[in-house]
Amino acid sequence: MFEPGAGLLTRGGLRQYGVLIALILLCLVFSAIAPDAFATRANLINLLQQITTLAIIATGATFVMVIGEFDLSFGFTASLAGVMAFYLFGNGFPVPIAMVIALFTGALAGLANGLFVARFEVPSFVATLAVGTILSGCAYWLSGGASMFSGVPESFKSLARGDFFGFPVLSLWMVAVLSVSAVIMSTTPFGRRLQALGANPVAAHLAGLPVFRDRVTVFIIGGFLSALAGLLLSARLGSVQHTMGEGLLLPAYAAAFLGATASRTGTPNIGGAFLGVTIAGVVVNGLTIIGVEPFAQKMVTGGIILAAVMLRRGSGK
Amino acid sequence: MKKIVLAAALGLVACHGALAAGEKIAVVTPYLSAVATAEMVNGFKKEAAAKGWTVDVVDTAGDMGAFASRIEDVAATKPAGIVLVSVNPEQVQAQVDKAAAAGIPVVTIDGAKNKSVVTNVTSDNYVLGKTMSDFLFKAIGGKGNIVRFFHSAHPGVRQREIALDDALKANSAIREVGKYYVQVPGQVENSRTAMDSLLLANAGDGAINAVWAAWDEPGIGAKLAIDAAGRKGIVIAGIDGNPQAIDLIKGCTAYIGTVRQGFGDMAKIAADQLGKVIGGGKSDKDELYAPVELITRESLGVKCN
Repeated sequence: MFEPGAGLLTRGGLRQYGVLIALILLCLVFSAIAPDAFATRANLINLLQQITTLAIIATGATFVMVIGEFDLSFGFTASLAGVMAFYLFGNGFPVPIAMVIALFTGALAGLANGLFVARFEVPSFVATLAVGTILSGCAYWLSGGASMFSGVPESFKSLARGDFFGFPVLSLWMVAVLSVSAVIMSTTPFGRRLQALGANPVAAHLAGLPVFRDRVTVFIIGGFLSALAGLLLSARLGSVQHTMGEGLLLPAYAAAFLGATASRTGTPNIGGAFLGVTIAGVVVNGLTIIGVEPFAQKMVTGGIILAAVMLRRGSGK
Repeated sequence: MKKIVLAAALGLVACHGALAAGEKIAVVTPYLSAVATAEMVNGFKKEAAAKGWTVDVVDTAGDMGAFASRIEDVAATKPAGIVLVSVNPEQVQAQVDKAAAAGIPVVTIDGAKNKSVVTNVTSDNYVLGKTMSDFLFKAIGGKGNIVRFFHSAHPGVRQREIALDDALKANSAIREVGKYYVQVPGQVENSRTAMDSLLLANAGDGAINAVWAAWDEPGIGAKLAIDAAGRKGIVIAGIDGNPQAIDLIKGCTAYIGTVRQGFGDMAKIAADQLGKVIGGGKSDKDELYAPVELITRESLGVKCN
């Protein structure tokens, strides 16, 4: 994510670290205004838990953005995975089986997206929106439109609750997903092929890279991660609604875009996405804690994202 | 660029001007865009102001994941109380439990009874649904076709739907020819477009005789569609006593009735109960009901030709 050689206070450093500086400034401002609430260990744990599902979806978004595509079905996939798990619990399925089926469903949705995009050359915006809408209908059908919260096994809830030596269990999932994804993206041949595919798909094809397989695989990864995020969100809440995941889509892409500004080349990357998710989480968490009215929260949130991006651009002049 | 950062910081401080003297209460809801929810929130703010409390309002625009997170955020500020509006606390049980365990009393308005909630103040939603269904069925002479606008994710609305189901079972001459799950927020426009389709699917006079709206905004959306299509002979009733719906009833439109929930009463009861708990006492009951009122042309004294 961050390349060596750029000092923090140099023009290049500001360009590279602008988002990070914005995050630090935000934390300082919130800490100054509400030291007893914002700058506490309990709130740090809250924050880590709050950003986990968004971070996992933003990771999926980053994979897809790296190859120059978009997947608009993430939120719908997350909702369906949660609903499906609860539906299966209600029909007597054990937790591991229900989770495997829900995750498989997410991967299957990703496969469908990938095939439409890679095989049939349907624009990813259209294909994933269409598949997502179908998934949304499935979630509605399984849930009957009602909120589901009865008979949820405690073992399922425990996937997202409690702590492990003081670190929230829910966020362990985020750490695992981010770590594995970062390793895949930066050190494996597959990750390097994705970068090449995103930079120049024609050249990647002419060079004999398995473009079709890699594109489909990326969408499968995105679907799987979305399903995982949906399961974890529903475990955290102990309830699920068929529209539960839809609010995650735009913040995930906003985070991935913001994170892309934290690399020298401006390409999406896992570390940057995590930084973007953290900024999004800190902004909402901090504004809520200091009691900013809902209308002002939206204005301030948009302004802060713009300021973070402008900080990077301004330093690059 | 330094100026931008400075301005943002100053803006935050300016927006933050709410931390004043007196007890601090946090109000959290996913449905502030709904008129009824806003009325409850504003009613509570008014009651709170009279008690010298400071109220911070948080809305998550229908996002339940964010709703859970924001409860954690406000609990971190250790308010004197948390008020959840228009939501079943069981949907965010872990967060409500955590707040209660931290010694923060949680009150729900238009929610549901819960072990970690000191009291839920609501209308009896089944009674609301039954009152409106009975009125609507009578208005179409006990026979005909209706369409339903609903939103089962809301626990109160779900009870109203159950009341309609029971009323339909008891009135075999009334048939449900269409139903639509309303998207929130944006419920008026969403219902309008759905009604456009329902009208096309049920063309011709008498194909639809009535619209059953689980709350007033979908009914208002349906009315816009009916007006645009120029369809006659369809009546609409909703629930909540939304001021716009009452204006439509007064105006002798297709909107003929609404059942008013006492949102102001609910907010007042909630504030009073929370005041008791903050003062070291206990709430009167784990669930309290505010009175309901059927509003029609007759009750408003309107004569229509």
